[in-house]
Amino acid sequence: MARINDDSVDLFKDQLGRLGESHFLILYWCAQGEDKGIKYNITNCFDDLKHVGITRTKQTAVSMIEALWSLCFIDIREERNRKNIYITKHGARALQQLVVMGGFSVKSSSFLEGNQA
Amino acid sequence: MKVIGIGGAGGKIAAKMDDSAILVNVSRIELEKVEGGGERIIAPVQSTLGQFRGSRKDPEIGHDAYLTIRRRLQDIVVGGMVFSSTGGGTGNGITTGILQGISSIDDELGNQGSTIPVQDRTFFCLILPYDGMESAEYVNNSIDFMTGPLADVIDKGCTGNIVLFSNKMKFTEKIAEEQYNEMIVNSLKVFMAIPDKNENMKLLESHIDHEDFTAFIAKPFFNHFNYFDYDPSKSFGNQLKANSNPLLLDAEEPIEAMFLLEVPSGQDHTIFYDIVKYFVDCKIPPVYSVVENPDLSKPFVTVSRLYSRKPYELLDDFNKKNLELADAKVQKSLEQHVVLEKLEVNFDKEAKRAGKQKGVGDDVLATLKRIGKL
Repeated sequence: MARINDDSVDLFKDQLGRLGESHFLILYWCAQGEDKGIKYNITNCFDDLKHVGITRTKQTAVSMIEALWSLCFIDIREERNRKNIYITKHGARALQQLVVMGGFSVKSSSFLEGNQA
Repeated sequence: MKVIGIGGAGGKIAAKMDDSAILVNVSRIELEKVEGGGERIIAPVQSTLGQFRGSRKDPEIGHDAYLTIRRRLQDIVVGGMVFSSTGGGTGNGITTGILQGISSIDDELGNQGSTIPVQDRTFFCLILPYDGMESAEYVNNSIDFMTGPLADVIDKGCTGNIVLFSNKMKFTEKIAEEQYNEMIVNSLKVFMAIPDKNENMKLLESHIDHEDFTAFIAKPFFNHFNYFDYDPSKSFGNQLKANSNPLLLDAEEPIEAMFLLEVPSGQDHTIFYDIVKYFVDCKIPPVYSVVENPDLSKPFVTVSRLYSRKPYELLDDFNKKNLELADAKVQKSLEQHVVLEKLEVNFDKEAKRAGKQKGVGDDVLATLKRIGKL
């Protein structure tokens, strides 16, 4: 059992090592959206990634989101014809580690800030 | 190129552009009012009221009407030029349906953004309302249109050029609708004449044939074109700026460009090098050609610049509600892929402490705790 736990930690560390700024921001934005009670969907996420200059194509944004889903860091739920993104508990732990390691800085989401205004 | 006019405003302009334009409306009466044009298609709606009175600024009625003629219309717009207003119910609703149809064709072809063949791309001419002088419903319909279906096809890159005409000048200069429509058509004809001029006039440098032109207008970007008498003794950049097309929304920083320079007989045509240099300095080597036009007394240049912006930023002129969002400029980059910086994973306690010292980090952790994920 101990062996499994050690392996799990190693796996988690390796997973974190492969996350980039885009993944960090997606996790952060969907947590922020949930905190504000605002549904945050794939299109909003693409707009935000485009706005901060990470990508110009929706396919790239979708592939980043799918990577996080494959790692069980986010859930994607189809609600009212929108694919909304929710951070999972694993995703929250990953975001926590990324924050304490200080590898990336937070950038604001135009969508969430616009809604707030 | 087939010309299609959707709704009242789109139909009137399309009919002026081409005698054989196909006109689409939900109202037979509205269709009959339009002079000129060719085939007329009525998109029937459930409500009898809608049949006689148009869509009454309600895009839902326009969209329902689109569904009744979807297959026919989707075939017609392939490789065509579509005129529509974004504010009215019919133009907005039916054009929304057309854009969604194009988007779904792209999905079927593999959603790669460039799968619709060049010659099948649709060239859109959209007429935007002028805030403050036109109904709030027109403005709101335009916002919904540009942030919804238009944003989707731009993201996917499955349309041709999109030309954004603004009603601003019509209201500020108090121009009659018919005259303004005439101005729009005449302006567009100058741009669309580029390949014909290349074919019919003596070529002096390079060449823009119909294939080159079709490839250029098949690119999924906003097109700002303008034209003016070119004075080679003055800066081209200043002249370009001073002669911006007043019928269109202002151009953003271009990502592609094309120009046609017409020079009078016997005049030195090497003045085109200054224009090429201007665009090269902007890091956008242009598509261009130089022809001899014996009817001219001064050099005349037609320029087209393609640019890309988030649709909601294009509503800056009249979208007061989204003003804050509109201020945020989109970083334009021709690079499709971004190299992600490598994250150095470090579980060292000192690193944790340093990270926690950042107030932002604490905010994120507090957020995660508030939503019960930690």
